[in-house]
Amino acid sequence: MSNCNVVLAGVGGQGILLAANVLGSAAAKEGFNVRVSEIHGMAQRGGAVVCHMRIGDRVHAPTTMEGEADVIVGLEPVEALRNIKFASSQTWVLLNIEAIIPSTVSLGTAAYPSLQTIMKMIRLFAGKIVTIDAADLARKAGSVIAQNTVMLGALVATKKLPMRLETIKNAIRELVPPKYVKMNLEALELGYGVLRNSDEKRRDELDK
Amino acid sequence: MVSSKVLLEGASGKRFLLLGNEAIARGVLEAGVGVVTTYPGTPASEIADSISAVAPDAGLYMEYSTNEIVAIETAAGAAMCGVRALASMKHVGLNVAADAFITLAYVGVRGGFTIITADDPYCYSSQNEQDNRYYALLANVPCLEPSNPQEAKEMVSYSMNISEKLELPCLFRTTTRVSHTRGPVVFGPLKQPKLKGNFVKDVKRFVMVPAHARIQHKALLEKMERAKKISEESLYNKIVRNGSGMGVISSGAAYNYAVEAIDFLDVDASVLKLGMTFPFPEQKIVKFMEKHDQIVIVEELEPYLEMQVRAIAKNYVPHVKIHGKTITKYFPRFGELSTRLVVEALAKIAGKALPVAIKEIDEKYTQVSESVPPRPPVLCPGCPHRASFYVIKTVTKNRAIYSTDIGCYALGIQPPLRIGDTLVCMGASIGTACGISKVIEEDVVAVVGDSTFFHAAIPGLINAVYNNHKVTLVVLDNLTTAMTGHQPHPGTGKTGMKTRARKILIEDVARACNVKYVKVVDPFKIKEAMKTLKEGLKTRGPSVIIFRQPCALLVSSEKRRKGEKIVPVKISEKCTNCRVCIEAFGCPALYVENDRVMVNEALCTGCMVCAAICPYDAIEAGGSLDE
Repeated sequence: MSNCNVVLAGVGGQGILLAANVLGSAAAKEGFNVRVSEIHGMAQRGGAVVCHMRIGDRVHAPTTMEGEADVIVGLEPVEALRNIKFASSQTWVLLNIEAIIPSTVSLGTAAYPSLQTIMKMIRLFAGKIVTIDAADLARKAGSVIAQNTVMLGALVATKKLPMRLETIKNAIRELVPPKYVKMNLEALELGYGVLRNSDEKRRDELDK
Repeated sequence: MVSSKVLLEGASGKRFLLLGNEAIARGVLEAGVGVVTTYPGTPASEIADSISAVAPDAGLYMEYSTNEIVAIETAAGAAMCGVRALASMKHVGLNVAADAFITLAYVGVRGGFTIITADDPYCYSSQNEQDNRYYALLANVPCLEPSNPQEAKEMVSYSMNISEKLELPCLFRTTTRVSHTRGPVVFGPLKQPKLKGNFVKDVKRFVMVPAHARIQHKALLEKMERAKKISEESLYNKIVRNGSGMGVISSGAAYNYAVEAIDFLDVDASVLKLGMTFPFPEQKIVKFMEKHDQIVIVEELEPYLEMQVRAIAKNYVPHVKIHGKTITKYFPRFGELSTRLVVEALAKIAGKALPVAIKEIDEKYTQVSESVPPRPPVLCPGCPHRASFYVIKTVTKNRAIYSTDIGCYALGIQPPLRIGDTLVCMGASIGTACGISKVIEEDVVAVVGDSTFFHAAIPGLINAVYNNHKVTLVVLDNLTTAMTGHQPHPGTGKTGMKTRARKILIEDVARACNVKYVKVVDPFKIKEAMKTLKEGLKTRGPSVIIFRQPCALLVSSEKRRKGEKIVPVKISEKCTNCRVCIEAFGCPALYVENDRVMVNEALCTGCMVCAAICPYDAIEAGGSLDE
């Protein structure tokens, strides 16, 4: 099997570490060699956070090389763009459209680009981009905090991961506090569904 | 994040996904360690935190010591009595502990003693990126360097065995990318910790007066001759790949990048992986070098391996070309390595063309990077430090000099608060403030956290009092060690063994140090806090103001646990759009949309400080509560 490299990018507090841990645990459960990189400490305090999850027999390093990501999961639009160096024309970018405004923008020292601009720039690097309203779907699942799991669901639907959906559900059951398990499983399904539906929609459009 | 149950109950032979630090904790349980000590610090924290979670059930003793030197001394005391002991800390913690560490090599141990230093290349969460492998060289103790979680677990037992064989402490060096990488770890059997030892008196060995130290220094050098043999024979110093081209020598996290870069470029190379990097396996390295014309040393930070390899090469194989950080300078001496950096270096050395893709990506990225707004870490919404800094800044009219310290509150340097003119190391806020106040006219305000106060600020405070420095020390007491994951400290009333202890109050300590003006105030009560600070600044000689309010993360998780609602603020029609709440206070829960101040209800903790500082009383309690 060739390596599978996933880059998860977002903001401290969005549950990126948990999402990466769910993926890593699921991979380990199925017997794959896996590495997950994490960032702790100062960087976590509302700053830009990136986690890499890598699966494969020849994987040693915890981080992906530039241009080598199979999927970039952007939990926040500009954070996907910040990490777009890991993408190539083979890469899928899953983009949560819910923006979180950085302090530099609130204070007027920097500007937040429009979603159109962000997507245009992402297209310079990545082969495929899928936008997802994860906040809306997370609310449908029960709480806006489940956006990370919605994005995981979409990631599973890309079929780029070697693990089964059921194994990922089991990892959620183990790693998420019991009272949030049901909500997260629902969020996972909603995320999974949106990508599948958008694929079908795209096919319909092509047919026309 | 792996449950503590897994660490203790995971069956031998089973495979689990563990963080490097959690793997070390499992290694501790498999090595029968009886005493574990620490002072928290990224990237080391989860080692001791994981132990703390299981210590009572596992039957070992664990403590959060006041600081790193106390941690090392406590663990060493147990090891002197024949109990296996481990002290873990971040790299700069070993500076604090160095006085004990270096002489402990003379004294030695009876039970195994491992000191973990977690280095932080690229300073992800640190004030410097020093390479602590040099401490092994300086103190003359063995050094082990795991490169992944599995090895990190195994090397705990290995280091304990070496330590007992030589009766020497062992230095165990990880880096951020080993400590904070998750990987599969196969468990071994647990070993019942030995908690009780006996102290066999031996003055010549344990009492380092000059006459004894001279003798023990020689004994240490003899021990390290024996350590050389261990290193030569160590299974952790092994050739993992045989090729006919260049020879690559690497260790730790750097090894992972090296092998992937070799694969990526399809370079014909042999690889010698070093897991025990002091003393150096000299003969093994000579033999490896004899087979190659070119040797490439792939390591992070300092040319530590390289200098030793060069010294060996000069004596045995002077014709071999050596590439690393010095002379040919293929690798940087700062920051962390990456597969990409090693790919670029190896391509140059091997005369291979670089895959063009990387350059193309770089060029394209320079076009987009300007459009990406920076997102530095910030104080959390509801953080009491923000209120404290607002008070300090307002009262001093931003004209004082502010020396700050190590902790979340270092983020106070960010706009709009910008409190922090000097930051050096744990406790330096008060020390540097003494010197600054002696030679300038402006007010000097030193800012220190509660855990840091106990760790390192007390000698500085005594100095300020006794030598009469006109310094105001503001203790930001959020009742926890927040930055590193909310560990207990002597002011919290909790211990690493989950027992209760009598709290030591910072105000009592300050008064005992003869500080005349000591006040405790809640920074959320803005007016009262301002009045108190004003008074403190007016006193002659040092004053101590303790701003006490629990960490916002603790408060919200407590509320969630109890099922209490967090009530966000709302902006009323009185808002004139003056934006003091954003431009002077800077809470991340407040933002501007369509030219109006808005509240991010998911972030707001309802601390009400923005309401207190709003000049138009336009912020009120009770925003919407849906979700």
